Amino acid sequence: MNKVIIRVKDLRKTYKTYKRGESFKDTVKSLFARQSINLDALKGISFEIEKGELLGFLGPNGAGKSTTLKILTGILYPTSGDVYAMGYVPWKDRKRYVTNIGAVFGQKSQLLWDIPPADAFYMNRSIYGIAQKTFKNTLNDMTDLLDVGDHIHRPTRQLSLGERMKCEFIMAMLHRPSIVFLDEPTIGLDILSREKIRQFILEMNKSGVTFILTTHDLSDIEHLAKRVIIVNHGDIVFDNSLDDLRRHTGNIKLIRLSSHDEIGDIQIRGVEVTENLSKYNVEMILDTTQTGLNEFVRQIGIQFRLSDLIIEEPPIEDMIKELYLDREAESKK
Amino acid sequence: MIAENQFIRGVKAHFQAIKAALAGRMAYRGDFLLSTIIMLMAEMFAPAITFLIYSNGASFPGWGIYEVLLIQSIFMMARGIAFPFFFGMVWNTLSRVREGTLDILLIKPLGLVHLIIMTAFDCNDIGKLFGGVLLFAISMKHLPFPGFMQWVQFLLLFILSLVMLFAFALIMSALAIVWVGNSRIFEMFSAVTSFSQYPLSIFSKPIQTFITVIIPLGLLGFFPASVLLGKYSPQITAAIVSSIFFLIASFWFFKKMVRQYTSTGG
Repeated sequence: MNKVIIRVKDLRKTYKTYKRGESFKDTVKSLFARQSINLDALKGISFEIEKGELLGFLGPNGAGKSTTLKILTGILYPTSGDVYAMGYVPWKDRKRYVTNIGAVFGQKSQLLWDIPPADAFYMNRSIYGIAQKTFKNTLNDMTDLLDVGDHIHRPTRQLSLGERMKCEFIMAMLHRPSIVFLDEPTIGLDILSREKIRQFILEMNKSGVTFILTTHDLSDIEHLAKRVIIVNHGDIVFDNSLDDLRRHTGNIKLIRLSSHDEIGDIQIRGVEVTENLSKYNVEMILDTTQTGLNEFVRQIGIQFRLSDLIIEEPPIEDMIKELYLDREAESKK
Repeated sequence: MIAENQFIRGVKAHFQAIKAALAGRMAYRGDFLLSTIIMLMAEMFAPAITFLIYSNGASFPGWGIYEVLLIQSIFMMARGIAFPFFFGMVWNTLSRVREGTLDILLIKPLGLVHLIIMTAFDCNDIGKLFGGVLLFAISMKHLPFPGFMQWVQFLLLFILSLVMLFAFALIMSALAIVWVGNSRIFEMFSAVTSFSQYPLSIFSKPIQTFITVIIPLGLLGFFPASVLLGKYSPQITAAIVSSIFFLIASFWFFKKMVRQYTSTGG
């Protein structure tokens, strides 16, 4: 039987923020009186995570992903609700709890800019009190896995983004945490670095480490996660397997078409042109339940002299829209 | 996996952080030397004014030039210890809150105050300490040498002056958590602490009460100097008690403000 490692119940977080107009008058006015507004970042979400899971937390910008992650790591206090992670309340037992977790923030570095990552690793060794032998073994394993042995002794500022990100992973994993939180860990990375990091995550997950990955990049989820939670406007709109998500949204493809000829009406079932980028370039959505991909490519090849054809997964916003539409349709039945 | 107790871990981590900060600082050696000299010159402003006052025949009533310089040297020494070793926490908090990198410290298994202090070590300010020690030595050379008990009392009051500076740093860091990006915090501190560089007796009674009982700024220079000079002030006890309350209040305030931390957007 799998063991629940994180239990979240009715978690809410409300930020108080201030509203100001754009004009000069509004700016001056805001010096004396500001209009405060409450922003509900999380509206009472509940879920559980089992030991050894690799969970994807998906959602558009501002959906509440990072807020959830920051509460789960003990960084933020929630407005209300309960979180028990490995028997701790993260924000109350922060010091003891964080010895068991690691985190990589794609946009916030744990490394020190002017000195080599190796020095930062040694600092982490002291902070976590890792025995010298364990530290050396772990460091060797990780540098081999991520192929950064040559880079860790160069000043951080001289490393490429990919090399830096690999070192961020080492920094987060040196103390062998049981849970690792990843916030947009592959943002801005090239395909090779991205692949290496994904392999590393899968390898660590196989050894029993629980990963919670927040991203708005669907390809990260597809390569890594088995279970997906989608949040939108502070609510969970989907919590199930990746296969189930595909059943809901995998029928929709985003297609960019470029032709040598002017593109007129496209007479293919299930196609909806969403944007005419120019006379020769259009963007469209294809519902593959009406016309399969093979058939679509065959028909489009007959109708136009193609110069380029790009088939992609739809953006996360479209997927959420699709999820809502599916739910509405299901509730009407 | 975790092999050591928290205290040893904390001490080792602190030294490692200082080592890392020094290594980082040495990457820009020219800037380091220049900054140290500029810091020292800026710190010499008050002693220079004192020297000008006395060389023009004026004085602080009841106080000789070397007695005033002694107060100012103690103030400089206290800052010379505080600024490199813990006062940098104010700027560290200010920038980390603005950039959202306080998050990085909050996921480490040490106290937040300790983490902010150890990642804020700044050797530039060591110039203040050298300047203070030099001025202290010059002043003492022209003053009667104090007895053993006076040195002991001085040492205790000097430690309290560091406690006061620590409490100030904690309050300012706490303010930086909710008052995001307000770099004027430090100017407010400079204005308030400038009272402590001069003999208490030159101020009016309400100000004297303020800097001994309410916020015991007198501990930053005046009181430690006065015991060395044998000029015991009746307000010392009130200042000592007040400084302990000030420290407790600053911890309480910091803890309260950390709860308000909102981080930055993802």
